[in-house]
This record gives sequence, C-alpha cells and structure tokens, in this order.
Amino acid sequence: MSIMEYNGGSVIAMVGKECVAIACDLRLGNQALGISSKFEKIFPVTDKLYVGLPGLATDVTTLKELFRYRVNMYTIKEEREIEPDTFAHLVSSTLYERRFGPYFIEPVMAGISTTPGGKVKPFIAATDLIGCLNFAKDFVVAGTASSKLFGVAEGLWEPDLEPEDLFETISQTMLNAVDRDAYSGWGTMVYVITKDKVIQRTLKGRMD
Amino acid sequence: METSFAITGKGYTIVASDTTAARSIVKMKVDEDRIKVLSSHLLMACSGEPGDTIQFSEFVERNIRLFQIRNNYSLKPSAAAAWIRRSLAQSLRSRKPYSVNLLLGGYDTTSHRPHLYWVDYLGTMTEVPFAAHGYGSYFVLSLLDKYHDPEAPLEEGLAVLKRCMDEVAKRLIVNPSAYKIKIVDKDGVREIEL
Amino acid sequence: MARRYDSRTTIFSPEGRLYQIEYAMEAISRAGTVLGVLAKDGVVLAAEKKVTGKLLDLSGGGYGGSGEKIYLVNRNIIAGVAGITSDANSLVNSARSAAQGHLLSYDSDIPVELLAQRICNMKQGYTQYGGLRPFGVSLLYAGYDEQHQFQLYHSDPSGNYSGWKATCIGANNGTAQSLLKQEYKEDISVKDAIGLVLRTMSKTMDSTTLGSDKLEFSVLTVDEVTKEPKAKIYKPAEIDALLEKEGLAKKDDDTVMAAA
Repeated sequence: MSIMEYNGGSVIAMVGKECVAIACDLRLGNQALGISSKFEKIFPVTDKLYVGLPGLATDVTTLKELFRYRVNMYTIKEEREIEPDTFAHLVSSTLYERRFGPYFIEPVMAGISTTPGGKVKPFIAATDLIGCLNFAKDFVVAGTASSKLFGVAEGLWEPDLEPEDLFETISQTMLNAVDRDAYSGWGTMVYVITKDKVIQRTLKGRMD
Repeated sequence: METSFAITGKGYTIVASDTTAARSIVKMKVDEDRIKVLSSHLLMACSGEPGDTIQFSEFVERNIRLFQIRNNYSLKPSAAAAWIRRSLAQSLRSRKPYSVNLLLGGYDTTSHRPHLYWVDYLGTMTEVPFAAHGYGSYFVLSLLDKYHDPEAPLEEGLAVLKRCMDEVAKRLIVNPSAYKIKIVDKDGVREIEL
Repeated sequence: MARRYDSRTTIFSPEGRLYQIEYAMEAISRAGTVLGVLAKDGVVLAAEKKVTGKLLDLSGGGYGGSGEKIYLVNRNIIAGVAGITSDANSLVNSARSAAQGHLLSYDSDIPVELLAQRICNMKQGYTQYGGLRPFGVSLLYAGYDEQHQFQLYHSDPSGNYSGWKATCIGANNGTAQSLLKQEYKEDISVKDAIGLVLRTMSKTMDSTTLGSDKLEFSVLTVDEVTKEPKAKIYKPAEIDALLEKEGLAKKDDDTVMAAA
C-alpha cells in the first residue's frame, strides 16, 4: 500500500485556445472504503489561477491552507496578484522545503496570464511530491488515476480547443479515466478558465 | 474495537459512541463516555489508542475553553474543527503522533446550521452528512447511504440511529453493550437514552 | 535634571508618569488626521496626507491603497495610522501576519478586537522592556466579523485600545471629535457616514480645499449577495469623483478668476 494511494483522488489540467481547464474527482476514501463524495481537490489561487492537490488528504488541507497563507502575504506586500509561473515556483519551493519528509501531494496548476500587450497566455504545470516542476504544452495529470488519464487524454486532446470544446474534452477524459480506477471517482468538478470568466461545473459520475 | 457514528438532520447533529473500554479480549468498563462536550454547541467523539484519546481530547477541551475565556465567545464549529485538524496534522509529523480518530458534531449559532466533521488521526478532515469510525463503520455507512435524510426531523433521525445500532449488534462479532448518545441543536447539547 | 525620567521608557517619573509615552502621543497629535465613523451597515475611514507636492510620485501602490496612511490589513480589516509612518509600517506588517496566522489556525478571518489586542500587546511590550523607544503610532481599525459585526477601534502608543462609534486621531483631533459628537446619529447609514466624514475632514484639515492629493479614503461594507466583507480603499480618481458628488470638490482657480 502506497501512502499516495491511501485516500485516492486525481487531477488533470489541459491547455486550450486562450483558455485552460482543470478537473478533479470528488472521492475521499480510506483505502477501499469511501468516506465522502464532496471532497474537492481544486482551489482558487487568484481569479485566473487554480491549483489541484491530489494525494494524501491531510496534506491536501494543510497545503491548501499553506498556499493561501503564502499567496495572501505575497499579494498584500507586493500589491498585485501572483502570476501563474511565479506561483508554480512558490509551489515548488514549498514542497522542496520538506525534501526529506515530504507532503504526499502532487500539485497541478492551471491559469492564464495576460501580457502587457494584451495577449492571453495559457499556463499549466505540475510537480512531483518534492517540487520538481513540469511545464507542459498540452496536458498534465496526477493522482491514483494518472496512468489512465494519460491514456484517455492522449487520445482525446488536440491543440487550440475553444472553451466549450475543451470542457467536453477534459470532462470525458476525467469521467472515463476514473471509471477504470477504484480509488478515484464519485463525481467530477471541472473549471474552464478564460480571460474574462471562469466556468465551474460539477459532473455526476458513477457512484461505485 | 470501538464504534462511533453521527448523523445530521434538520437543525441538529446526533453523535453516538459505544461505551465499552476493552483491553485485548477483556471488557474493562461498560460506561465509558467517549463524547466530550467542547463548548455549548460542540461535541467530539474520540476513538483510537486509549491513552492518546484522553490526552488529546483534554488538550482540545482546555484550548477551546481558553479561547472562550480570552475572547469572550466560542469558536464556531468550522473554526474549532480547523484548529483541531491542524493539531492532529502537526502531531502526525512529530516524534510520537496521537492516534485519535474524531467525529465533530456542532451547531453554528450564527448561520443556524448543524455541522458534522469526520476527522482521522492523520488530520484528514471532511464535512459530511453522516459519518462513522471503527469496525461498525463498515455496516453503518452503507446503511446510512440508504436511510439518511439531511432534512429529517429529530424523531426520524433517532429512528435511523437505532437502525444503525441494531445493524452493528447483528453483524459485528463483538456486540457493543451500550451507547452514549448526545444531541446538539439550537438549544445546545443534551444527552439522551434510546 | 529635567531629563532624569524621560530618557528611558521603562522608568516612572515621581508623579507616576511615563514621559516617553506622552512624547509619543504628542508626536501623534501633530500627525495627519485620521477619522473613522461606524455606521450600521459599514465603517468609513479617512485620512489627511501630510506629504504632498506636485513632484511626489503617486503612481505606485494600488492593491493595499496608494497612500501613506490607510492600509488593508486583512479582507475584513482596514487600518488608518497617525504618527511615525515607518513605525506604522512595521506594525501593519505584524498585523497582516497576525491576521494570516489566525486564518491558518482557524480557517476563518481574525475578529477585529483580537487583531487590535495582538497589536496592543506588541505596543505595550515597548513601554516595559528595556532600552527601546515605544511605537510612535496611533491606529484606527475599521473592521467586520461575524460575532460583533462592524467595529471601530483606536489604539495608542501605550497599548491601550477602545471601541468607538466615531473618533479621530492626529492633528486637530479635539475639534474633529467635538464636531462628530454634535453630528453623529445612532443608526447612521454608510451613505450618511461618508458625508459626515468628508464634511468633518474638510473643517479640520489645515488646507481649505479637499482633493485626492491631501485625502485618503476607505469604506468597509458587507457584500449583499455573498455576505463577505468588502474593504474598499479609494484610488485618487475615485476620491475626486466622490468629493465632486458630495459638493466638496476643489474649486477650480481659473474659473473663479474668470468669473471675477
């Protein structure tokens, strides 16, 4: 039994055309026993940046609170909101601080930034549990269903998807991947982030 | 092993915990109260390592009381739960972690809503409509999936609770002899017999 | 010998006074005015800027307020400071840390009085522990929490704090307080409180005209839909617009000349 699989749960993020999407499942378990079907693993960082924290559930809450603390301090002192790539490095260094006694979480980030010229830049990234960053151009996955998510995403994802198409792609990827994973599922939550709004939807999934 | 469970309903949370204190195969005590009253509208059922449960629950009880004396108001259930969870999460990465599993039942007097939190010794916390710890949880959770109603009046809630206790009595190899049952609602905490 | 009892903060004079504390308060009563009014649906805070001039670069700042005197401490608390600005910066930093520390422990916003207490504990320490100078700062805290709704507190260099319906610190605070005493009404609304604050400010400030170069302004309310606290620190352009609306805007000298 791996500690990363103790509570179950998965997160995926994808890049679209001037938009990004991030999705998580809603299960919280104690190994095979399901405890909650409303355990969200994605949290807002700013209104254009979200972070997903799959892994050991105690660390999901601990890190959610720790990132909120550090981002709030950054925002109030810097007098501006944190940029996605800056936040990625904050995540990385926070995890590496615990290099020899890590948080059992593999964070996934998705956000968009606007360049001074007004160009919209989609951003996704993921790290391992000690903060090794992976900036991807297509999609990133993490959690107990990560191997299955890779397979489905590889088949469904294509470049430059519009927000609604990206929503459909990420939703189908998530729903179908978690059905092959005993430790993820029990509903899905999807966020699609565009330059002027965030679409948040909760999807029903198989409850077995 | 000890069993405790809790359910929420319309304006109340019921917390029940068996009263057996056992060492190995021997029952040492059959009237142990495992449900601490933390404040006027907050209950905490503790199970786990015997020494740890007492030490940790008293630590929590005193700290919640200290906050109340210092600041002249009680922490609302969500804030108390967050603090208790953090204590467990910090303990987990210490030299000797507490092995204590908790159910926190409360009534928020500002928003007038009942709350129930499932917390384990790792510091995992989630708000749920019903929850259970111990071997009894394997029977009780599936039963509550079918019969629990978050809008049920108190009588119905107690009837469902009775069902749970009967099911544990029927299926679990060691039948808990008695339960302590406490209710928290707008009027505060009270203990009942079923 | 007059200097015997005022060179150190920790020593009482024979009359039982702590001179350094009194000097600190004296420093504050020369500082720019900060004025707060508690309304039934919000709190209003305004401050007079002392450092002005057309060469001053006002382009910086934005999120926590652009000025020198009004700061966002937490999403539910705004602080207005009077006294030595550098001392205030360090206190505001501590206040922000305390607020975020509370959020980390309890997953809820820090209650306003608790924050005031935390800062006062720190201020009090410097009246007792050796060799250091006390903070030369008074603060007004405008805040909201679920337990006691809207609140307005004042704290001074000795570490005393008290709650107020309307109060004022800094230069001319006596005049402002007597004006507030006359004009304050129970159950005042935020809308009326804004007017009251601006009128009082315009009467107590050294300069005759009000403008964003001399004034900082902020309002704390609760969002009607989400019920979450909403702290708004006005930007210079918004202050001018507000003054215009209240009929207290700066008279344009050229027009006056032309009319004459």
